[in-house]
Amino acid sequence: MATSGSGGSCWSTPEVHKHHEQKIVCHTRPKYREGRRLRAVKVYTINLESRFLLVQGVPALGAMKELVELMALYGPVEEYRVLDEYPAEQFTEVYLFKFRTLRSARMAKRNLDERSFFGGLLHVCYAPEYETVEDTRQKLQDRRRYVARAKQNKVKALDEPEEKIERNAAEDSTCEIPKPENERGSWDFRERETWNEKGSWDLSYPLLPLPPQEGFPSVFEQTVYEDSMGSTYSAGTSDQPIASVGQKCSSDRSTVVYIKVKDRPPPAKLIPRTAHLQNRKRKMEEASKAFLLGTTEKNDTLIGPKLPELPKVDMEDDSLNITVNLIRSTMAKVSTIPENKATEKSSTATKPRRRI
Amino acid sequence: MSRRGRFSGPDRFEYLQALVTEFQDTDSAEAKQQVLANLANFSYDPRNSDALRRLQVTELFLDMLTEESEDLVEFGLGGLCNLSVDHECRDEILQSGGVALVTGCLSSRREETVLSAIGTLMNLTTASSRAQTTDRAVLQCMLRFSLSKSTRLRNLATVFLQDYCSQEQVEQAQHELQGHTQTALGIPLPEDPVGGRGGT
Repeated sequence: MATSGSGGSCWSTPEVHKHHEQKIVCHTRPKYREGRRLRAVKVYTINLESRFLLVQGVPALGAMKELVELMALYGPVEEYRVLDEYPAEQFTEVYLFKFRTLRSARMAKRNLDERSFFGGLLHVCYAPEYETVEDTRQKLQDRRRYVARAKQNKVKALDEPEEKIERNAAEDSTCEIPKPENERGSWDFRERETWNEKGSWDLSYPLLPLPPQEGFPSVFEQTVYEDSMGSTYSAGTSDQPIASVGQKCSSDRSTVVYIKVKDRPPPAKLIPRTAHLQNRKRKMEEASKAFLLGTTEKNDTLIGPKLPELPKVDMEDDSLNITVNLIRSTMAKVSTIPENKATEKSSTATKPRRRI
Repeated sequence: MSRRGRFSGPDRFEYLQALVTEFQDTDSAEAKQQVLANLANFSYDPRNSDALRRLQVTELFLDMLTEESEDLVEFGLGGLCNLSVDHECRDEILQSGGVALVTGCLSSRREETVLSAIGTLMNLTTASSRAQTTDRAVLQCMLRFSLSKSTRLRNLATVFLQDYCSQEQVEQAQHELQGHTQTALGIPLPEDPVGGRGGT
């Protein structure tokens, strides 16, 4: 059942190492360097980190599937297996997981260590002794590359306020990937370590969407795709709330388009609630990000601080949205002649292709 | 989010400064150890490296390598291993004669310390420092490590030999290892260290 190891020697030597043991947490820290969680006094280096995670304390209830699913929330798992020979507490099992990226492993460890799971308390730790020489080499190279890139980005975005450090004063080594400040930065970063929105792993329950794969789909493309229920906008990178508004505005103006739009099934019906919530969160984040950075997807050249214009509100409800859009378009009709009608039309014109 | 907000830009520097100050002022060995571990972990994040360099934390870490306490040595070297990836910090460490200090730690009895030492030596290897970081004794030591029972030590030493040393260097060292010109570097000192700590 488990995609057990490819037979490498690294999968056959279960041995209790010192770094597998849970160190006693430190209770004597003064307030100012106390973190949110009590942690042991320990220094993490790249040598201690690994794509391999050892999960101890899994109740022997046959909940492997659930455990793997839980792990997969943090990134693609390449291999996993039960370590039968590993000395475990009574009625518990020990699992070994190999993530595709160190970052995924880091997030998983961070979030799942000391989490209760089917009545047991998980203890998750890195297991670098399962690495091959090549794994080790890759890990070191990745780290070097990452630091070099972070350095570059820092120089570039020197004036902009940095994304805050996540780490607290306690001995928590995990390095947060700096939130890219600009589009170039984000592009660079997404290559290797896929940053998914911000700080969502601080939530008490891991509700992360499955992280994007190595090939880096732009955040905007994704949102547009999800929100429009599969109708791929050709203008993928256009601001998505505007796109949906534009579509409905134009539907009022020209009857031909209106019919076509009306043809489409009501999009909101099939969206699961979690996706809905995530979308809304993402939208809000994007909107605030756009305002903060002064970058909007429109091609306006703006100089100087941008006044926060009224965000295009998505009511998260189809009929409400339609009403809002009706009012909006009527207002628009009354006051001015829309200028960007042509582009909207072209973007809507491409849509029906998918339905044929 | 509000907690994160605390820790940006100038605040970060001030916080790290407070840590360094506490480290220097405190009389409590425990607090010293905690703060050192804090600083070493902060060194992992490249966004802190400038601030840490300004606070001369590289020197602080290097000082730890000659401490009596094995914990302090381990944490200090861990900090160096983290910080030395940054090129500016690397150059500072090199200027302060870090290679000799780090090489000395290859003889530590703690695996974590030895691993950090190897990692740091890798980071410290540049065109001009190569002769120092991959000298005869280090190579022999790495050859021994590459046969170690510990997978982590074996892997890291192998990467060091393959990526940071030339074929001839390795062969030479292998030859020496079989002959009588062995060095004792990397062989842990006995439990009760009488003489000076290796290399320092």
